[in-house]
Amino acid sequence: MTDTAGIPAETVRTAPVPPEESALVITGLSLWYGGYQAIHDVSLTVPRNQVTALIGASGSGKSTLLRSINRMNDLVEGVRVEGSVTYDGVELYGPDVDPVEVRRRIGMVFQKPNPFPKSIYENVAFGPRLMGFRGDMDALVERALREAALWDEVEDKLRSSGLGLSGGQQQRLCIARALASDPSVILMDEPTSALDPIATDRIERLIDDLKRDYTVLIVTHNMQQAGRVSDRTAFMHLGRLVEEGPTDLIFTNPKHELTERYVSGRFG
Amino acid sequence: MLDLGGVEARRRRRRVRAFEAAVFVPVLLALALLATLFFDVITDSFSWQVIAPHNSGRSFAFAEGFAFHRTWENVVRLELLAQGRTPEEVDALLADPEARRLFAARNRVELMPWVDGLPLRWLVTSSRDDHVADLPLFEGVGRRRELLASAEPGQVVLLNAWLDWSFFLKNASRSPAMAGLLPALVGSLMLIALVILLAVPLGVGTAVYLEEYAGDTPFSRLVELNLSNLAGVPSVVYGILGLSVFVRLLGLGPVILAGALTLTLLVVPVVVVAAREAIRSVPDSLRQAAYGLGATRSQVVFRVVLPGAVSGITTGVILAVARALGETAPLLVIGAAAFVPRPPAGPLSPFTAIPIQVYNWVSENDVEFTHVASAAIVVLLLVLGVLYSLAFYLRRRYESRW
Repeated sequence: MTDTAGIPAETVRTAPVPPEESALVITGLSLWYGGYQAIHDVSLTVPRNQVTALIGASGSGKSTLLRSINRMNDLVEGVRVEGSVTYDGVELYGPDVDPVEVRRRIGMVFQKPNPFPKSIYENVAFGPRLMGFRGDMDALVERALREAALWDEVEDKLRSSGLGLSGGQQQRLCIARALASDPSVILMDEPTSALDPIATDRIERLIDDLKRDYTVLIVTHNMQQAGRVSDRTAFMHLGRLVEEGPTDLIFTNPKHELTERYVSGRFG
Repeated sequence: MLDLGGVEARRRRRRVRAFEAAVFVPVLLALALLATLFFDVITDSFSWQVIAPHNSGRSFAFAEGFAFHRTWENVVRLELLAQGRTPEEVDALLADPEARRLFAARNRVELMPWVDGLPLRWLVTSSRDDHVADLPLFEGVGRRRELLASAEPGQVVLLNAWLDWSFFLKNASRSPAMAGLLPALVGSLMLIALVILLAVPLGVGTAVYLEEYAGDTPFSRLVELNLSNLAGVPSVVYGILGLSVFVRLLGLGPVILAGALTLTLLVVPVVVVAAREAIRSVPDSLRQAAYGLGATRSQVVFRVVLPGAVSGITTGVILAVARALGETAPLLVIGAAAFVPRPPAGPLSPFTAIPIQVYNWVSENDVEFTHVASAAIVVLLLVLGVLYSLAFYLRRRYESRW
């Protein structure tokens, strides 16, 4: 599937998010890497305190879309973005907006666990220290580790290296590190693709807990995972958003043929 | 029947072993050459001597002369008593600062491995001693009875270790027996300190700029091209640059600061290359993590990149310093002094450095200066060895990090 045949001009939307529930609103977003257009006119509303999954084949632009939300793509040379992303009505691509401020409010968890080669404590304290946090750091670190369901396992070895933990623990440490900056939104880029099934299960249960306090947007390759953790699902194909709606409907009753073929495992 | 050790297999194994042996030969050769060099300079820093002493010519047992903190005074007391002075006279002399200064200027308290058939003896040598004979270490071993027998009454036969503690404390001298490494040692240490102070910020700053800030622009490519070219320029050329810019144009004169600036030019490319490599070895995922948490570019550099690269950078700096320590040509060109009687007072003093001192000593006619030069070479090689071991240790530690 390299041609754009069969991709609808308009995204197919089921049960749209009501405006009062919307947290992030992406409108007409297009993105170019130099001369190559990676995202074509994507519009998507992400509801508050819910988990939204982005699914699609490799190269469909889902990770790029995720990275344009906290403006991580600004770090790549030759990137050009058109369109708008707002959070609570505030334009994240406005002329006076500092991308650093955006990233401080939108946390990110990466595909491969990437703790710093520092102690567990210093990993969690990294974000608050960047912002010159002057309060009770011990309490903050404990809260973040508890929220990431890691506290009981590391309580007595906060001063040992974060690299000494298992893969699953490292990823939860990275989640705790993101939570310590008190973000409003958490972006997760295939957070369990490097983990075994047991560690994956822990992270998935954690994501379910996190949506009480945070808005979560997760990119995943694994459709069972999207089905298990997300409330809404958006399906991307070749840089375009094909279909989005409540997860159960996308999986049981997809409206577009491409979505149907992808969720039934016939390509991708 | 399966044949797993046939003729063909045996022939192949033999070829593999022959190849391994062939590759090992250069390694053995290099080790042999290195061992020869060490053996040569170390044996050259010893010599058998026959002297007609100006002092009493008496030597004293190690235990007799040694006293913690007061060895010098102890041995001098023994010598003065041996010269026939009364204990009262000796006490008066040692209590008088001017007399002490005069005595110290003309005499050395030295620990000799062997004097007149006795091992490990203190001897007070004088600048007025007459040196009758000087034999290399191995030649003298077989002939020491002969030397003892042929020595005239009053003459002393001794094995001199030119590299002893007093070698580090003696100033320069026209007499080999009195010549020490102190001015060159202090000069080299000051040079190195200044080179580190200048080259680290310059080199690491350039590396950080090239790796973290500059994109792939024509300017950054020009800087890169020039850096690799500069690393290949002969060091004499840097000397000429230093002479015209620092010594003449800036009017510094042939002082330590001018030497340090010249050596800095020489080693900065080395530091930049090593620092870039260390910075590149910090995984990009860590930069991404820091940016994702809202770090600014400089916060990423100072909190993630540099802490991750610090051991690699240190290794590079040590190797660069080792190079600067051994450089002779650029310092000769900018006019490091041939004879510096006392250690330099500060960065604006005329100076000499260990390799230059070695160069000057080996150019002397007096055969005894060969031993002094060898002793200085041993010191230089020891310092270099310590620096390289430090670099090796740091590299080992940092390889296992990620």
